[in-house]
Amino acid sequence: MLGIDDPQIWLAYILCFVSAVGCIIYGAFKWNDDSDNGEVD
Amino acid sequence: MERRFRQWRGGLVALSTPVLGVIILVYLMVIFYLGWLGYKKTKETEDYMVAGRKIHPYILALSYGATFISTSAIIGFGGAAGALGMGLLWLAFMNIFVGIFIAFVIFGSKTRRMGLNLNAVTFPELLGRRYQSRFIQGFSGGLIGIFMPLYAGIVLIGGARFLESTLSIDYDVAVLILTVIVAAYVITGGLIAVMYTDALQGTLMFIGMAILLVFTYIKLGGVTAAHSALTSMSDLVPDSLAAGGHLGWTAMPAFGSPIWWTLVSTLVLGVGIGVIAQPQLAVRFMTVKNDTALNRAVLVGGPFILMMTGVAFTVGALSNAYFYNTLGKISVVVAGGNTDLIMPEFINSAMPETFVILFMLTLLAAAMSTLSSQFHTMGTSIGHDFYREFLKKGELGQTINITRAAIAFTILASVILAYILPISIIARATAIFFGLCAAAFLPMYTGALFWKRMTKEGAIASLLVGTFSSLFWLAFVHSSEAVPLGISKAIFGVDTILTGTWTVVDPILVATPLAFVVAIVVSLMTKPTSKEHLDTCFKE
Repeated sequence: MLGIDDPQIWLAYILCFVSAVGCIIYGAFKWNDDSDNGEVD
Repeated sequence: MERRFRQWRGGLVALSTPVLGVIILVYLMVIFYLGWLGYKKTKETEDYMVAGRKIHPYILALSYGATFISTSAIIGFGGAAGALGMGLLWLAFMNIFVGIFIAFVIFGSKTRRMGLNLNAVTFPELLGRRYQSRFIQGFSGGLIGIFMPLYAGIVLIGGARFLESTLSIDYDVAVLILTVIVAAYVITGGLIAVMYTDALQGTLMFIGMAILLVFTYIKLGGVTAAHSALTSMSDLVPDSLAAGGHLGWTAMPAFGSPIWWTLVSTLVLGVGIGVIAQPQLAVRFMTVKNDTALNRAVLVGGPFILMMTGVAFTVGALSNAYFYNTLGKISVVVAGGNTDLIMPEFINSAMPETFVILFMLTLLAAAMSTLSSQFHTMGTSIGHDFYREFLKKGELGQTINITRAAIAFTILASVILAYILPISIIARATAIFFGLCAAAFLPMYTGALFWKRMTKEGAIASLLVGTFSSLFWLAFVHSSEAVPLGISKAIFGVDTILTGTWTVVDPILVATPLAFVVAIVVSLMTKPTSKEHLDTCFKE
C-alpha cells in the first residue's frame, strides 16, 4: 500500500492521518458542547 | 549537535545574510510585542503562573505543540528516521494519539478541574495538594529544577548554533543573545507571554513543515512513487545497520533486534508515553477556563503534531531516496555518519533557497518556544514549589518576584551546563528528561486524577522509587548514558553492570512499571485519604 510493503509501516502511516483526522472530528463535534463544563468565572 | 551546525554553516554561505537578518529582526520585534502584551496582562500570581486560567483554545493547542516539539524533534529525530527508516512513524502516531488526544481529553480535563479545586498554579503544586504533602511538591520541584536545565541546555545549544551559523556571529555571543531575549519575555511576561509567543512560533513551524512535506513529495514524483523508490532500496542498508536488525527504510527492524529495542523502547514508548508526565505541558491544562476550550484545542493540536513529527520522520526517511537519485548514496553516508546532519543536508540540497530561509525561522521558533516554557517551568519549580512552599512552608508572599529570581538562576544553570557538559551527554538530554519524568511523575499523576484510593505514602514511595530506579538504570545499565557518564566504569570497572539486550532497554520501561507497582502496593497498605479532602479534590 502507498508503495510500502511492510504492513507494520503503512499501518503506522495511515494511523498518523487517522488519529489527526480523529482529533479534528472530535474537536468539531465537541465545539459547542458546554455541558458539564466546570467553568471558571 | 555542535558539529552539526558548524558543518551546516558551510552550506549556508550562499544565503543572503542581510535578508535573513531583517527577517529575524522583524520576527524578534513581534516576539517582543507579544512579550510586552503578556507583561501588561500580568497582574496577579495566577496570571504569571497559569496565564490567568483563560487562554484561548488555539493558543493553548499551538503553545502545547510548539513546546512539545523542539528543534531536536525535527532535526535529531528526523535524522534518526533517515537512518532507521519509517518505523519512527509509530512515534508520530503516539505523539498524536497519546500526546494530544489522551493527554487533552483524559488527563487535561481532570487536571484543569483539580488544579482549580485545589488552587494549584504549578504541576508539582497540583500533586502536592492532592496528596497533602509539601514534600511531594518540594521534591518534584527540586527534581525539575535540577534536571530540566540539562534539557534546556540542549535546546539552548541548538538555538545558539542556529544564530551563529545564519547571522555569522560568535557562538558565545549567540548564547548570550538568545538567553537574554527569551529570558526577557519569560521573566517579565510570565506564562501569558510564553504562550502568546509560542502560538506565533507554532504557526511558523506549521507553515515551514507543511511546505517541506509538499516539496519533498514533489521532488520524488508523488507519494506512492517516493515510497516505492525507498522500498526498493532495502538492499542498500549498510552492513553495520543490517547486523543490528535494519531491514530497509520502509520496514520495521527485525523483532527483538537491538535496533528494534531502541526504536520501540526509547523512541516510541519512552518519548511517546513520557510526554504525559511533562510538567511544562501538564501545567497548560490549567490555563483554560473550561472543558470546551480543551476539546477545541484537540482540533488544532492533532493536525499540528502530524505536521511536526509525522512530516519530520517521513521526510527524514525519504531523504535516502533523494540522495540515492542525485548522488548515488544513502543519507547517513552523505551526512558523514552523523544523523543530526541528515535533515540540514537534505534541506540545503533539495529545497529552494527562499525555503531554506523560512526553514531557518521554523527552527529558531522551535528552539525558542521550547526554551521559554522550560525557563518558566524551572523557575516556578525552584522559586515557588521548592523554595517558597517547601523550604519556607508557604509563608513568604511575593510568589511572582521569587519565581522571577529563580528563573534567572535556573537560566544561568542551563547556560553553564551547556558549556561544561560533554556533547555526548547533552545529546541524550531530551530522552533522559522524558524518561525521568515518566518514572517519577506518571504513577502519582495518574493516581491523583483517577484513583481515589491512592495515598500520600503510595505517592511518595512511587516518586522516590521512580526517580532513583530511573537514575540507577541510566548510570549503570542503559549503555547510551552509562558509557559516556562513566560512573559504572569508575565504581565497578565495567561500562554497564548488565549485558546483552538489557543495555538497550530504556529506563522508562523498567522504572515506570516498578514505580506503578510500588504506588499500588504502598497505597493499599496505608490509610485511605479522608473523604472530605477527596471531595474537595474531585468537586465537579
